Amino acid sequence: MADELLHFEDFQAGQEYPCGTHVLTAGEIAEFAREFDPQPQHLDPEASSEILGGYAASGWHLCALAMRMIVDGLFNRSTSMGAPGLDEVQWRKPVRAGDSLSVKVEVLGTRASSSRPDRGFVQLRCSMWRKDERVMFWTCSVMFRRRATEAHPSTGPG
Amino acid sequence: MWFEDVPLGEKTVIGSYTFTEENIVAFARKYDPQPFHIDAAAAAHSPYGGLIASGWHTALVWMKLMMAYRQAQVAAGATRTQENYVSPGLRDLKWLKPVRPGMTLTYTNQASQKLDWPSLPAYGLLEGNNEALSEDGTVVYSFVNRVLIARRPSQ
Repeated sequence: MADELLHFEDFQAGQEYPCGTHVLTAGEIAEFAREFDPQPQHLDPEASSEILGGYAASGWHLCALAMRMIVDGLFNRSTSMGAPGLDEVQWRKPVRAGDSLSVKVEVLGTRASSSRPDRGFVQLRCSMWRKDERVMFWTCSVMFRRRATEAHPSTGPG
Repeated sequence: MWFEDVPLGEKTVIGSYTFTEENIVAFARKYDPQPFHIDAAAAAHSPYGGLIASGWHTALVWMKLMMAYRQAQVAAGATRTQENYVSPGLRDLKWLKPVRPGMTLTYTNQASQKLDWPSLPAYGLLEGNNEALSEDGTVVYSFVNRVLIARRPSQ
C-alpha cells in the first residue's frame, strides 16, 4: 500500500538505513569492466597498478553496486522520485575480489521544496564499508513525495 | 602526456551514445530497478510521465566513451605515459534533464584545473568539466571529473 511507503516526513537527520552486504567476485569485476571501464587494472588479475596496488574493481562499479543495494534496501520501499545530482563521490580505497562490502545510507538533513508542495529533499550520504573502513561514499539530495493531507481523513477537528 | 603537458581549456568531443527503451531497461534492471526506469506503464504515472534512463546509466556511458576515446587516440599514435587512469572521485554531478528513449547524447570533456595531490607526489590531479548534450544542444548532464596523471619524472 502507498501509505506503507517511506515518505519525506519519515526522514530525519541522524537516521541510518542499512542496505545489506555483498561479497564482490572476480567475475563481477571483470563483467562490469568489460562493459564500462575496460582498463587492465580492472580486467587482469595479474595487472599492476602503482596507485591501486594491483587488480581492483572500477570505482564506477562500486557506485552501481551500491545503488542497486540502496534501491532494493530503501528506495523501492519509499516514494523516491530520483535525485537531481550528486554533490560528490569519493573513491577512497581499492576494492578487490572477495571483499565483503556493506552499504549504509545516512540521513544528513531534510528540506521541503519551496516550489513544489508535493515533495521534499532528503540529503543523504551513501557509503560502502569493508569492515570499519569506508571505501566509497557519495552525498546527494533525493526527492521524496510528501504525505497528502487528504490521506488522513480520520483526523478529527480541533 | 605528462601532467605538466596537459593543455587546459580545450573542449574535446569524446563520443555519442543512443539511449533506447531496451538499453535503459536492461541497465536499470541490473543496477537501478526503480519503477520509472524499468516499467513503461508505471513510469507513465510517475512525475516524469514516461520511462527515463537511470542517472547512473548516463554517468557510466561517459566512462565507456572516455575509455574508447583514449584507446582510439593510442591507436592513432598518441604516446601513453601511464597505462592506468585512476580517480579519487568526482564532484558537482548534475542530472539536468530526463534522458528518454530515442535520445542521442554527445559527451564532451574540457580539462579545467590542475591540483597537487599530496598523498601521491608522483602524480597531479587533473580536473575536467564534462557535459552531455542532446541533439538540440541542450546540456542534460554535467560533472567535474578528477584523474591522477603521472608527473614528468625528474632527471
